[in-house]
Amino acid sequence: MLEIRNLHVSVDGKEILKGINLDVKAGEIHAVMGPNGSGKSTLSNVIAGRDGYEVTAGSVTYRGRNLLEMNPEERAWEGIFLAFQYPVEIPGVNNTYLLKAGLNAKRKHLGLEELDAMDFMQIVKEKADLVELDHSFLSRAVNEGFSGGEKKRNEIFQMAVLEPSLALLDETDSGLDIDALRIVAGGVNKLRAPDRAVVLVTHYQRLLNYVEPDVVHVLAGGRILKSGDKALALELEERGYDWVLEEAAA
Amino acid sequence: MNDATNQAVDLTSQLQAQLAVIQKALPGSHESWVRVMRKRALANFLKLGVPNTRDEAWKYTDVRKYSARLSDISVEKPASAISVEALAEFHFKGLECHRVVIVDGYVSAELSCLDLLPAGVRVESMARMFAEEAHLLEPYLHDQHLSGSFVELNAAVMHDGIYIDIPDGIVVEKPIHLLFISHGRSEDSSHIRNLIISGEYSQATVIEHFGSLDSSRALINTATDVELHAGARLEHYKLQQSDLNEVNIGSVRVHQHRDSYYHSHSVAFGAALSRRDIHVEINGEGAECVLNGLYLVGGRQHVDHHTRIDHLRPNCISRESYKGVVDGRARAVFNGKVVVHKGADKTDSAQSNANLLLSDKAEVDTKPDLEIYADDVKCAHGATVGQLDLKQLFYLRSRGLSMDEARNVLMFAFADEVLAKIKIPEVRRYLERVAFEKLPHGAALEGMLV
Repeated sequence: MLEIRNLHVSVDGKEILKGINLDVKAGEIHAVMGPNGSGKSTLSNVIAGRDGYEVTAGSVTYRGRNLLEMNPEERAWEGIFLAFQYPVEIPGVNNTYLLKAGLNAKRKHLGLEELDAMDFMQIVKEKADLVELDHSFLSRAVNEGFSGGEKKRNEIFQMAVLEPSLALLDETDSGLDIDALRIVAGGVNKLRAPDRAVVLVTHYQRLLNYVEPDVVHVLAGGRILKSGDKALALELEERGYDWVLEEAAA
Repeated sequence: MNDATNQAVDLTSQLQAQLAVIQKALPGSHESWVRVMRKRALANFLKLGVPNTRDEAWKYTDVRKYSARLSDISVEKPASAISVEALAEFHFKGLECHRVVIVDGYVSAELSCLDLLPAGVRVESMARMFAEEAHLLEPYLHDQHLSGSFVELNAAVMHDGIYIDIPDGIVVEKPIHLLFISHGRSEDSSHIRNLIISGEYSQATVIEHFGSLDSSRALINTATDVELHAGARLEHYKLQQSDLNEVNIGSVRVHQHRDSYYHSHSVAFGAALSRRDIHVEINGEGAECVLNGLYLVGGRQHVDHHTRIDHLRPNCISRESYKGVVDGRARAVFNGKVVVHKGADKTDSAQSNANLLLSDKAEVDTKPDLEIYADDVKCAHGATVGQLDLKQLFYLRSRGLSMDEARNVLMFAFADEVLAKIKIPEVRRYLERVAFEKLPHGAALEGMLV
């Protein structure tokens, strides 16, 4: 589904990613772990198409297409979703409106009919219940005045409504209490399907107690230093990241 | 002599020539105080001349290129050419109003409907008031407390307008909708005078609404005096959707007595040049004044808002918030002055002006201005000029909104914060729809109105 080859990315002339190789197949859940400043967020932002990241070498292919040539909305229509590390507040823009506009733009792109208001509201309410989001949030402005945990839950709610093929969760677990963490994990597990894939970018192993990854990668210094199965995550939890760095340096 | 001086001499002689003709036709000329007032005002106008950019209050707004329109004053035409149906586009769908229609500066009795006004409430043509009951106007107009070139000219040559008198204790539930329509006008001018007298503990909504049925190159010069007696409440709207070739200039002067409440909504979407002056004198304890404003301009439009709030008594509140979206080569000017006079202790005043600049050829000149001569006051003011937020744009696009759609959504959300303060849902919806039409691909935004 997603193939990343030798990806080099610079921000303001400084190289952050220094040759990433990553293969994510349909049906898989990958965890990308690593210390702060290792380039984890850069990786998810580049995949979602954010401005300000210069790809100096390498390629990113999504379902056989050159992802880097697509603008952010096209990527969304093609099924890519980024749950932001820091979701932005947008006063004056209603949460439900955003989802309806986004979902219908995607359906239009895929040649499907737009949903009518009733069907749409039904989907939205179902998904809100799934992530235990109070229905009052539906008519509120996007993220405005939400607590940190509510913002993260809102991201998972949006993910549930938009039903992406490839979901990237950028540190969605950071700063969550255990109940919120379970809800986020529940949202990810519900999304799990043979034709979908998830990339969890995280600093901690905690989320992986609830979402079982197929592959775990250690990203540090802009490179993937080690990949393994879920046992690697537990080892990282126990021993920290230093031993991976030392092993790589050796 | 240079060109400017030549033009001034031309204008003076043309104006005087025209006045010689229309003088007798101007309403109220049988009253000596009216004649004296007009004569003095004309002398003042001729002394001041058309403002130029050396005048601090007109520093960023050059009206001189439109001076020619001042030398021709619109005369009354039969309004029969307009049908009530043609005006439907200026109605607020689903909202019943008391309505007066003013065509090219003159009240049209046929197009107006005031049948349901509560007993005692008077909504009259100013021309008729001058002709028949000028003594009721004298206390408000004789003492010419408005100032500046356009107000002086207005006093000298005003030919019609609306007189509203709401007796003590009366609540007018339905809005009074004053619809000023331009109907195929060339380069002439109208000088409209309105007077709103809100009796003690009365309550009303007055909507001054400017629009045109077809292209117009007129200059409209309106002056509105508002007197709010103790405890009176007035919601006062100025909705300007003039033709893009029109010049729309207007002054509002408000006198607030004790415990009165004045809420102004000033919306400017149209006109080549639009200038609004609002001057509020808070002259009674416990009074409150709220000024909201929104302007959406593009192309080569020019919009200028000057407001001044004088706090003269203690324990009063003023709130002011103006927002604007400025695109193309348009220019927006905001100047908001708050003066807290000696003795106006415990004044609570806040003012803000926020601008969204959409093109690098557009320009905003904003100046909040605060003078405080009293003790224990709470005053805040601020102005911002910014672009669309890139993080918000990316967020919306990452959810599947196209670039155009995302830009539109953010522009509208910015503007709608002002419209959200409008208490009449039908008027808010109406203005939101007009705002959509001002935005590129705006029609797609209908869904935002949940």
